[in-house]
Amino acid sequence: MAAMSETSSAGAFLYRPRSWRRVLRFAGLATVAAVSPSTYSPQAREVAVRQIYYTAWQILPGYALVAALLGLLLIEVVVVSARKYGVTQYSLELVLRVLVLELVPLVTALYVALRSGAAIGAEIALMTVRGELEDNEETGANPLHAELVPRIAGAALAVAALTTLGCLITTWLAYVVFYGFTPAGLPEFTRIVGNVFDGVELAAFGLKCLLFGLAVAIIPAATALEAERGMMKSLPAVVLGGLLKLFTVIVAVEVTTLVVKYA
Amino acid sequence: MAEHSDKPASPAAAAADLAAALLPRSLGVKVGILIAFTVMVIGAFIVYVLYARGVFEQTQRMYLIADNAEGLGVGTDLTFAGFPIGYVRRIRLRDDGKVRISVRVPVSEAKWLRESSVFVLDVPLVGAAKLRAYTANLKDAPLADGAERPVLRGDTAEEIPRLVASVRSVLENLDQITDTGSSLQESLKSARTVTERMAGKYGVLGGILGGENNARKVIASIDRANALLASLNGVALKMDTVLSKTDQRVLGSGGLVDETQKAVAQANAILGEVSASLKRVDGILADAQAVAGNAKAATTDLAALRTEVEASLRKVASLIDEINRKWPFERDTKIKLP
Repeated sequence: MAAMSETSSAGAFLYRPRSWRRVLRFAGLATVAAVSPSTYSPQAREVAVRQIYYTAWQILPGYALVAALLGLLLIEVVVVSARKYGVTQYSLELVLRVLVLELVPLVTALYVALRSGAAIGAEIALMTVRGELEDNEETGANPLHAELVPRIAGAALAVAALTTLGCLITTWLAYVVFYGFTPAGLPEFTRIVGNVFDGVELAAFGLKCLLFGLAVAIIPAATALEAERGMMKSLPAVVLGGLLKLFTVIVAVEVTTLVVKYA
Repeated sequence: MAEHSDKPASPAAAAADLAAALLPRSLGVKVGILIAFTVMVIGAFIVYVLYARGVFEQTQRMYLIADNAEGLGVGTDLTFAGFPIGYVRRIRLRDDGKVRISVRVPVSEAKWLRESSVFVLDVPLVGAAKLRAYTANLKDAPLADGAERPVLRGDTAEEIPRLVASVRSVLENLDQITDTGSSLQESLKSARTVTERMAGKYGVLGGILGGENNARKVIASIDRANALLASLNGVALKMDTVLSKTDQRVLGSGGLVDETQKAVAQANAILGEVSASLKRVDGILADAQAVAGNAKAATTDLAALRTEVEASLRKVASLIDEINRKWPFERDTKIKLP
């Protein structure tokens, strides 16, 4: 890491292929480690649980509120404009496609990235600067397993949990706005859900959520590892660079799925 | 994160200790609830989507054959009376250039489809194509599984140019009809004149006959005809009596017919005599020719014969006179003699 002497600018991380390669290698290692049971020692499990608690549970009320308000607003916009243009019969499908399939995962990823991505990046960058991770290597403990993978797994799970909750809230809101508090609209609603969520759509949706979760968990951590030991100065640039990369990846994933689906 | 101490020695253990001290005790439970809830929601949603897509429902297939499947997509609903009763599962172009649309219909909804059902593919201007089923008689035999039916196509976009063309010609016709000097205008004008006349003194009669004078004449004619009919009535009565009298005179006993019969009998007898006389004349003439030389001797015979012939002719003439007198309808009094 001594080679990273010129890490003064956060934007520089975006245009450095070596940094992206590092992220990819780290992502591969972390993903493999995250799915191997040996990673989860009681200590590591504790770290993962803590990560989930910070990333998901603590922000749950705020996130639910934001999801409900944003959802309600967008549903109303769609309903009013659909009525205006006389395409009311397509508005529920539009809401499900735009809000549940596209916007909720994206907003959740951005929300978690802002709330926790920066925190994870800062924490790991601080550990790198202090040399804690290298110290662990010297004592024979694997820092990837002990510190990083539980955090990454926790963050990814938290994103998945929040996305699920957000989709649940917005779907319920859509039903209530369209049909009110009665089960009378269930047959039609079920039919539209069946139309919108076919197998390919569901698989793409799951894959996108997984990619968002992994990106939110891995990229800030991977970039934070580029901080220089003993140089507190490099810390802000590393954290910010990680966030920049994260946003780039999130946007890229979203655009790619949209292009694949609609182009 | 606040749980990190500044001491680098055995940092993981220290961090864990500190975290355990700072964090709520039920942290594991809360996170467990969250994860369990997430997994449950995801599982329930997948089951719900499978249910919504009809995976747990028994379906039957039917195939619709169309010339053109434009606007139709997999997942398009087949509707009956506005309610979706099935959906398009697959669309395939057959070797003969027709489109085969595979439709899945849940068994519970198959009752709406009968042997006589008609299927229409409707492509509206805005929105996706619609596949509709119409069943006139719900008591027909139910549609068999895997049945193949043609689909009619109602394409709004294709209809519009045709519609515009015909509407234009209709409008042109209308324009011509309502133009100044057009036949409709003339007809209306004439109709107005006629109705004005009809509203005049002689009403409808004046309207039909085209003027009050004519109407007056017609009325006068009718009056005269009435008078004529009255006098004709009298004439008919008289005629009746005349006819009864005539009947008596002509057909009664001693009437005209009777007399005529008698006269005809007489005439027969006289004619017989005439015929005999003429035969004798023939014989005498032959004799006369033969004995032309002895004229003197023959002259006395001839004088007697002549008086005889004249007497017969007079009888015939008087008979014919009598017949003519008794037979009023014969006017030709000429008699041709042999």
